[in-house]
Amino acid sequence: MRHGTISHIPITLRVALAMGGLMIVLGMVASQQVLRSLSRLHDDRLREIARLHVEGLSVALGPLVLHKDVWEVYDTLDRARGASDGQRMLFTVVADDRNRVLAATDPLRAPVDSDATPFSKDASDLSALTASGGEPQVRVRAPLRVAERTVGQIVTEIDVGDLVAEREQVSLYLLLANAGATALLAFAGYFLVARMLKPVTVLAQHMDNVGGAPSRIPEAEIPKSDTELARLLRTFNAMTGAIDARAEAEKRLAERERFVSLGRLSSSLAHEINNPLGGLLNSVDTIRTFANRPEVVQKSVALLERGLVHLKDVSRAILDENRLDRVGLPLRPMDFDDLKLLFEPEAARKGQYLDWQVRADGADLASLPAAPVRQIVLNLLLNASAAAPEDGCIRLSVAPNDGGVELTITDNGRGLSTQDLDRLMSSAPVAPGGGVGLRLVHDLVAGLNGRIRHDRDDGRTSVTVFLPRAAAS
Amino acid sequence: MRRRDFFRTLAACAVLPCPSVLRAKPLFRLALTPVFLDNDAVVIERLREALSQGMGREIDLVQRRTYQEITGALLDGSVDAAWLCGYPFLQHRGQLSLLGVPVWRGQPRYQSYLITSAGDQATGLEDLRGGMHAFSDPDSNSGFLVTASDLARMGETPDSFFARTIFTWGHRNVVRAVAGGLVRSGSVDGYVWQALAAVEPGLVARTRIVSQSEWLGFPPFAARSDRMADPAVTTLQRALLGMDRMPAGRKALDLLFLDGIAEPDIRLFDGIAARMAELGQAG
Repeated sequence: MRHGTISHIPITLRVALAMGGLMIVLGMVASQQVLRSLSRLHDDRLREIARLHVEGLSVALGPLVLHKDVWEVYDTLDRARGASDGQRMLFTVVADDRNRVLAATDPLRAPVDSDATPFSKDASDLSALTASGGEPQVRVRAPLRVAERTVGQIVTEIDVGDLVAEREQVSLYLLLANAGATALLAFAGYFLVARMLKPVTVLAQHMDNVGGAPSRIPEAEIPKSDTELARLLRTFNAMTGAIDARAEAEKRLAERERFVSLGRLSSSLAHEINNPLGGLLNSVDTIRTFANRPEVVQKSVALLERGLVHLKDVSRAILDENRLDRVGLPLRPMDFDDLKLLFEPEAARKGQYLDWQVRADGADLASLPAAPVRQIVLNLLLNASAAAPEDGCIRLSVAPNDGGVELTITDNGRGLSTQDLDRLMSSAPVAPGGGVGLRLVHDLVAGLNGRIRHDRDDGRTSVTVFLPRAAAS
Repeated sequence: MRRRDFFRTLAACAVLPCPSVLRAKPLFRLALTPVFLDNDAVVIERLREALSQGMGREIDLVQRRTYQEITGALLDGSVDAAWLCGYPFLQHRGQLSLLGVPVWRGQPRYQSYLITSAGDQATGLEDLRGGMHAFSDPDSNSGFLVTASDLARMGETPDSFFARTIFTWGHRNVVRAVAGGLVRSGSVDGYVWQALAAVEPGLVARTRIVSQSEWLGFPPFAARSDRMADPAVTTLQRALLGMDRMPAGRKALDLLFLDGIAEPDIRLFDGIAARMAELGQAG
């Protein structure tokens, strides 16, 4: 899913994001390094401050601690605190060699003679002192030495709030500056990459244009400077032309297929026209011969009229099938009568039995366009007729079904070959050779959002086409 | 400095007509026990100016850390005279004589205070048993003898009664030690405590008087008995006794919160002698 989400982001944005990400990583690494150096500097400064503070006190306190002079130790601490009033020393306790408190700046907190361990145990040595904990005060301990002898120790709390605040402030500024620089680089990267990849965006837009078909890129949008991408876009344009040409050819082929269908019927239709002509000529002879017998003339004229009407119907059906301006007319039951008129002679010529069952009325059919449905039915009938043997049986059934119309053409022929089935059922490319009639059926059904089912059962082949009612109708 | 020189010259001219004789005289040395604001350079300087003017000669004020050092310097002749505490004076009664006794609040007497921190609930010495106590100096009357003799009356010694005692070598330090919480209680010169209340009210406000002693002889000015006839010593005595009548002396006395310096009366120190006796010491 994640992969899918990422791949939906335009490539220009993705590259810019990747660049921004890299910049952020770089910024973080740089910030980390600077912060570490800053931290080291701060710690050095803190240690120096603490060292000066503690060493100054140590020199003064050493002999006093050696003599365990409580008052003098207190006096020294008190004066040192007074001298640094409001400065760094917050609290100092001085202990003797048994770690008993001798004196503290705050005797109530560390009474004389009490145990100094609670103060010394959490304190750090001078060398290990660090302000990185973020605490506004640190506690440091140092031994008190007189003549190379440790006579006690001093524990002092030092105010490092200003150092910590300074460190936080510098860190904040650093992070802000880095974030700003990173954002700037990321944006600059985005614009640069977007500019460089603009032809790619154009290509992507034209590949998936409105309607899903690739469209030609205007020459004005092809960059002059970038020869590689210009070549790519021109190649794309050439391919688009080839695709257009192919679609055009297919369209023309489908158009021609209608004439092919009629062509296949032409011989039968010629018979259909020729056969009545003999009877009609006989009627003319009869009229001429028995011109004075009105009842015979009357009968012959009626015969003539019936024959001419039939010829008119046949020629109208042929003309209708050929007319291009029928596109958009709704399907009517009469269209099936036309089809029967066109196809019946062909079946009759082959001695095939035609079972014609149209159970759909005008309301069922009206939402479907006449031209493609006629083409579908005629092609399937011709196919069935070609497959069925002499004296075979061909059946057409048209019935309303589940929000649409179901057309079923059945024959007792040898069945469809694998190649024919491929043409009828799938959108895979058509293998060279063979007609395009079944593929045309497939494409027309797909265009009407219908579906085709093929059944082979007990020596019978059934092709069922379901066409849903168009929603708008 | 210029002003001081002017006064010095003026005083010298008033006393002795010949300045060259003045310059030839050796420096007169007066020692001060740390009874008062020994850290206050202005007070010391004003006192020195007043006495220089009064004596008509240059004098040097000598300060030491302990009473013992001052007493020792006086006895061995390192200094010509000293502002002593009554207690060391009485300890060396046979060798020393009084020059004058300061008058504070109308009388040449003062008290010793027993103090604690402001929040302490103690109502008397007995309540302070087992705490830490600050004395000023082992040779101080108000800063040691009074409390030690009170304890002697109770059959105690400072070491047995208190958990620990410390000497702070100055009355102001006793107040600091109590105010800062270093010790629970302290023995302090009442005159110093009152003077501090005016000069450093913030410090004194953190302490509270638990008890006050009887009125005892104010720390006197003294010199070696064998030098009492020395003209320099008699000049000093005159200058001391006449201080309140001179502008410079008045100014120094005001800074010291004193009214003047009175003729000595050895009976003023009977109270201290009695306490010394209680501590088992001879006068």
